[in-house]
Order: sequence, then structure tokens, then C-alpha cells
Amino acid sequence: MSTPALELTGLKKSFGKAEIIRGIDLSIGTAERHAIIGPNGAGKSTLFNLITARFPATEGTVKLHGEDLAGLQPFQINRKGLSRSFQITNIFPAMTVFENVRCALLWSQGYKYSFWNLVNRSRQLTEGADAILDQINLLERRNLPAGTLSYAEQRALEIGITIAGGADVIMLDEPTAGMSHSETDYITDLILKVTEGKTLVMVEHDMGVVFGLADRISVLVYGEIIATGKPEDVRGDPKVQEAYLGAALEAEH
Amino acid sequence: MTDENLTTDPARPAQRMRAGSLSLTFTPWIVGGILLVLMPFIFTSNSALTIMNQMWITVIFALAYNMLLGQGGMLSFGHAVYAGVGGFACMHIMNASDFFSSLPLPVLPVFGGLFGMGLALIVGSFSTRNAGTVFAMISLGVGELIAACSVIIVAFFGGEEGISGDRTYAMPFFGNEFLQQIDVYYLTSFWVLLSAALMYLWSRTPVGRMANAVRDNPERAEFLGYSARWVRFYSFVASGFFAGVAGGLFAINYEILTEENLNTTSSGVILLVTFLGGVGFFFGPIIGAVAFTLLQTVLSLQTELWAFYAGTLFVATVMFFPGGLAGLMMMHVPAFRLGKANHLIVPYIKTLIPGFIGILGLCALVEMTFHFRHAATGDNEMTLFWTTFDSHTILPWIIAIAVTAIGLGIARATAPALKEAWNEANTAGGAA
Repeated sequence: MSTPALELTGLKKSFGKAEIIRGIDLSIGTAERHAIIGPNGAGKSTLFNLITARFPATEGTVKLHGEDLAGLQPFQINRKGLSRSFQITNIFPAMTVFENVRCALLWSQGYKYSFWNLVNRSRQLTEGADAILDQINLLERRNLPAGTLSYAEQRALEIGITIAGGADVIMLDEPTAGMSHSETDYITDLILKVTEGKTLVMVEHDMGVVFGLADRISVLVYGEIIATGKPEDVRGDPKVQEAYLGAALEAEH
Repeated sequence: MTDENLTTDPARPAQRMRAGSLSLTFTPWIVGGILLVLMPFIFTSNSALTIMNQMWITVIFALAYNMLLGQGGMLSFGHAVYAGVGGFACMHIMNASDFFSSLPLPVLPVFGGLFGMGLALIVGSFSTRNAGTVFAMISLGVGELIAACSVIIVAFFGGEEGISGDRTYAMPFFGNEFLQQIDVYYLTSFWVLLSAALMYLWSRTPVGRMANAVRDNPERAEFLGYSARWVRFYSFVASGFFAGVAGGLFAINYEILTEENLNTTSSGVILLVTFLGGVGFFFGPIIGAVAFTLLQTVLSLQTELWAFYAGTLFVATVMFFPGGLAGLMMMHVPAFRLGKANHLIVPYIKTLIPGFIGILGLCALVEMTFHFRHAATGDNEMTLFWTTFDSHTILPWIIAIAVTAIGLGIARATAPALKEAWNEANTAGGAA
């Protein structure tokens, strides 16, 4: 079997005495769409923050394409091809939509910390950013300050920023949180489109989105994964139904 | 998408400075250059040249400071040391006669820049790890430390008398020995244009754009592959360079540097200048430097209380116009774009002129109080607004109070109409 895109072994995190993540083993294959679900407070966002080194792990390892990420800073992990979005919209609100995307392209296009290039002289940057804007349907909003966009548009922009750098592992933290039905459908289509051929890890509450998108699902309850598998298997798992899914599915219907 | 947003119309600096997606426009730089050349023909006196030299030096320093404050989101309370150290280094070069006699004077500020940059490299290596309070506190500490060194390391800082030199010992530059004030003026003008252009270009480079990104959201920047710390570091070092250039020009202009060039008062002044001009726009600090230097030089000839007025203006800016003078100007761009700016002229006249007269009345009261309390006994005569009167009689007080009350009263009464006109002028459609 080939190296998994993302592999977690014995991952643990405690804040003081409180153990939030209590030993997670998970392996996500290349080009797999993997959803992490679970009740509130299960540690889903914490797990995301551990993988992307926003917090240091107490124990255990995270491997990206077989490479241990221990001791790396978020920006170094990003350069290795792992990109993420945030649960609370995290963009550059004062900059234009176009500039938000262009900033996301700078490193991957090799500009680094250079002060001998002028960004608006680079056709590659401008065209690259416009191509991303086209993909996320924000070309019409190109020159507006990002902070003035609607909530759904800001979420779309964040997804655009997340994928712009060309990372092959994309992590989305509740991309449809707080959205209306039509907005949710729009974002779901968008995610399908932009993560084509890439590894996707997402935390999501909306079961419609999860079952529509995911190849595999992991259920996280109290810092442990109680089930991992294909959507239909997870749906049928009695443990899952007991812990979480049953109630959520009932609420859906 | 509206094409309007893509134009590079120089009358719309907001787009040019902010949108970033536009090709560079040379117009403001050419106009600026021509102005710099023509100014001495308009203001011919030596004192005017001195004021302008001081202005341009402050412009460079304020723009350098804004690379931190406005562009990078770093509040420094000790930026004078980078200009000061650059200036002291230039002073020492002036006094190293063998080397100096083979160096054309216009090149000297480069050395100031390099020394300022060198110090910024050292300090930045530990101070730029964080922005916010930590950075501000370190900048204050380092500023105090180096200012204190001026009396300890006498060999470099010259103790209390400072260090002086003579610029005319430099290698003649095309036969010019910079004996005249006008020669120094053109040297300073050359540097202000060059530095401003370079700093503007810096803001258009990848590291300059990321400085804005880190200012707005360091965490997101980290997840885009950029270390917020290194982005800050590069901005800090570049800012140190241009501050050093300003210091070098100071050395050339005044031929003396003292502890005053390093201390926290100077650091505070540059913060004030930059904020007054407006941190949100590239050209803000330029306006701030011009306005503040005028206050400092022209107003200080008129009244001993100029610092009081400057302070009041600063507080008013922070409270009511956080965008500074530049922000105040740019507020009017939407009205101009809607073609409704002319609707504002009459309401402005109705409110601002009485308001201005009221404020002058208030200033008169301040001046009279100051004179009443502090003038020598028996010296009851004072001159204010070209009128000489006795500050110990009741009539001038009544007049001043009346002018203040009436002026401010009218301004207050007409303010709602102005606000309405403002809203109308900023709304699309309607009776345009």
C-alpha cells in the first residue's frame, strides 16, 4: 500500500489535566475525501489545530506523505503542501478580494521574501489569482475589500485562499457553518470542484454535506475515534448511532 | 466588474495605493519632483529653505516609521535611535577627514542608512517575534537604552555636547562644496524623492504586500507559508535603513547631533507626525510631516504654546479622525466619484468657517489666560491677532468669550445640515 497522505499515530493533547484528544490513529489516503464528524466539544477543531501545528501535540506523531511534522511551524507545514481553513472566517478583511488570493499565491510561486519583484508586474500572479477567483465565482467582487463580502462569499474566499497555494492536502474546518440551504449547496459544489484530485479532510456538522462529499467518515467522540469507514457503514454502526448520529439523523428528518 | 476600478487615475490615490493590482503611475512622482525643484523659487528666504529641509527630512523619517506602524502594524516607541545612530555615524565619517575628503557629500546618507539598518538588524532579530504590546515595550526599552548610552559611550555619542562636524570637507561634487543652504536643499530634495519612491516600491513587492497581510492577520499569513516574524523583521530592517538615511541628512543639514536625536521625545514626535498624517495611506506621513513642521516652525514663532496646540490637534485626530489628515481627504473620494462633491461646499462653509472662528476665539482665551498668569508683573500689554490690548481689563475677555460662543454655536447649529448633506453626497442616485 502506498504512503498515506496524512497519518496520525497515538495523537494526544491535554490542556492541564483535561485530556481533549485521547489517542487518535488515523490514516487518510491520497485523493481521499475524509470527513470528521462528532458532537460539540468532541475535539474536532483541536485535532485540526494539532495537525497544522497551531497547538503542539502532547504525544504522538503526525505524518504528511510519510514525513514527520514534529517541531515544524505552521508556515513550514504549509510549504510542505498542507493548507487549511478556519472555523471562524479567517481572511484579510481590509485587502481586496483579489489581493487576498494573490497573497496566498506568493509563496508557492517562489516569491518568498523578495523585495526586488513588483507584484503587479507579474502576469503569472495576476492571472493565477484571477483563475482562482473564477473558480470560486468571485471574479465580480475582485476589487472590493474582502470584509464587505457576504458571509457565504467570505467562506468561499477562504476556501479560495486555502487552495490557492496548490497544496495537495486541504483541511476545511466547518466550511458550511452558519449557512442557509442554498448557500450550503453552493459551497458543497465549490468544494467538490476545487478539491478534484486532492486529499480533503473536513470537519462538518451538516450531515447532508458529509454524506454527499465524503469517501470515508471518522466519528470523533470525547477525543477518540469510535468508528471509521464508508458513509453507509458508519451510518449503520450501532455505536455511532448511540453516541451521536442517530439523534442527528432524527433531527434531519 | 466595473472598469472604473481598474483605472490608474492619479486623482484617485485610494485605488492606486490600496488596490495594488494596478500598474505604477508616474504622475505623482513627476509632479512631486517638479514641486521640489520649484519650491526655492517661491520661498526664497534662507529660513524657508531651512524649514523645507527639515520638512523633507521629517518626510523620510515619517515614511520609514510608517513602514512599521501603517504597513506592518508595529507600534514603535523608540524609532528615533535608528535615525540618530545613522546620523552619528555620518558625523563620524565627516570627521574622518581622509575618508570624507574622497567621498562626495550626496553619498553620505547611504552610510547613515547602512548604520541604521545594522542596528535594526540586531534589534529586529529579537524584537520582531511579536507585534503588539511586546514589540512596543521592547522598542521603548531599546530606545531608552541607546539614549542612555549617549552619556556613557562618549566616544561615539559625544556626551552632552554631542558631535559636530563640517560638511564642506567632503569631496566637491561637480565643483559644489555645499556651502550654501540652497545646495543642501537640492541634496535633501533628491534624497526625499528617491527614498519616498523606494519605500513606495517596497510596499508593492511580495514582502511589502505580506507586511500588510501580517498586520491584518498574522495567523492566516502563517498558514499561507509566510513566517509572520520574518516578514516583520524585513520590514523593520528596511525601515531602519530609511530612518538612518533621514539621520544622515540631519547630520548634513545641522552639522551637529546630540542626545536629543535619540531620545524618546524624538521617537514620540515621529509617531505623532505619522499618525497626524494618517497611517492608512502611503502619502499620509508626507502630509503629516509637512503639517507638523509648519506647526513647529511657523506657529512656534507666533506663540510659546505651539506644543499645546499640536498636542490638542493630535488628541483630536486620534479621537475623531483616526485616519489622520490623509484619511480625512480620502473620505471625500466617494462623493467625488458620485459627482456630488459640490453639494458639500456650501454646508462646509456654513459650518467650518464659524467653527474655525470659534476655535480662534478659544485660542485667544488660552493665550490671554497664559499671559495673565505668566507675564512679568506690570507687563499688561499683549498682542494677539495683530491687536494690542491690556489683558488685565475686562473688555478683551468679553470679546473673546463672545466670539468663541457665537462661532462654536453657529457651527453646532449648522452641523446637522452638514451631516445630512454629507449623507446625501455619499448616496448614489437621487438629485445629482
